Amino acid sequence: MKKQSAVVQHLVYGLFGLALGFSLSRIGFASYSQVHHMFVFSDLRLLYTFAGAVVLTMIGFLVFAHGHSIPSKPFHPGTIPGSILFGVGWALTGSCPAIAIVQLGEGQLAAAFTLLGILFGVWAYRQVHAQFFHWDRGACE
Amino acid sequence: MMNYWPWWLGSLALAAIAIGFWLLLRRPLGVSGSWANIVGWREARAVARAEAPLRVNATAMGDALLAATLAEFGEQATLQSLSGPGAGAKSPSKTISPPARAHWSVHLTFFAAMLVGGFIAATLNGTFALRFDLGPVYTQLFGSGWHSWLLLMFGGGLVGFGTQMAGGCTSGHGLSGCSRLVPASMLATAIFFATAVGVSFLAQVLAR
Repeated sequence: MKKQSAVVQHLVYGLFGLALGFSLSRIGFASYSQVHHMFVFSDLRLLYTFAGAVVLTMIGFLVFAHGHSIPSKPFHPGTIPGSILFGVGWALTGSCPAIAIVQLGEGQLAAAFTLLGILFGVWAYRQVHAQFFHWDRGACE
Repeated sequence: MMNYWPWWLGSLALAAIAIGFWLLLRRPLGVSGSWANIVGWREARAVARAEAPLRVNATAMGDALLAATLAEFGEQATLQSLSGPGAGAKSPSKTISPPARAHWSVHLTFFAAMLVGGFIAATLNGTFALRFDLGPVYTQLFGSGWHSWLLLMFGGGLVGFGTQMAGGCTSGHGLSGCSRLVPASMLATAIFFATAVGVSFLAQVLAR
């Protein structure tokens, strides 16, 4: 692995953040209405967007990452209950961990409450995990 | 009226970001991991401090072990063990030095840039407006005002707790994981999506 200087890392992550925030906003993922329409299947555009992204990313990885080993997330006892909790939260807020930030950028000030909640949830899980759970989370770094 | 991107353009953009992220940074895109890095900045700092001497001198640990062995057993015994079987076992110290991890402030930059990205998109589109609601559908389902904000905080808590527990979110499990057919990621994605579908239908029924 190449060693990247701190400035370059800030720049690269910054550019990807800009692109991701811009795209998520233009796609409509940061609109609660659009996300709710996806969940009740009254508008399938977001669903197609995501499915198409998965397929294109798959092709991209096959082409560019051929022969590389990319870390895969392990299955562990937290996978299922964690996903259920996230699903409930996603339906209630219309927000996955990236979206609340984009919503705030769009001027949706209520997303600040979602962000506070996420911050507390991430912090709380770290406390609970350290005390009670002993599996390897394999969380992306 | 909002004019969103057609689905194929959105797919292209997300895929380009996911692949570009891996090509430039050699790690899969994952936003919940960035949250973990930011919230756990104290631990990250402690780990970085502990690893710092190893980065400066990869053989520092080997040298320290050798010095300790000399002090404990004397020169004769140490030289014997070094020339005996297992000699050359000093080389593992090279593999100890870990790949440089992104500093937590880098993830903060990532988030700040996402906020700016959303701002630029909304401004260019002419839809930027400071508002305290999340749009008509949200208001119809959950009302407005302070109790809806409490619900957002509760829901946000579930998002934060759940994604950390599941080890990933829409980007890490959904995009980076599913595209490589990682079993745990496909299961996680199916479950959080199905749960959100169920809760959304339930909210719609209850709001009627």
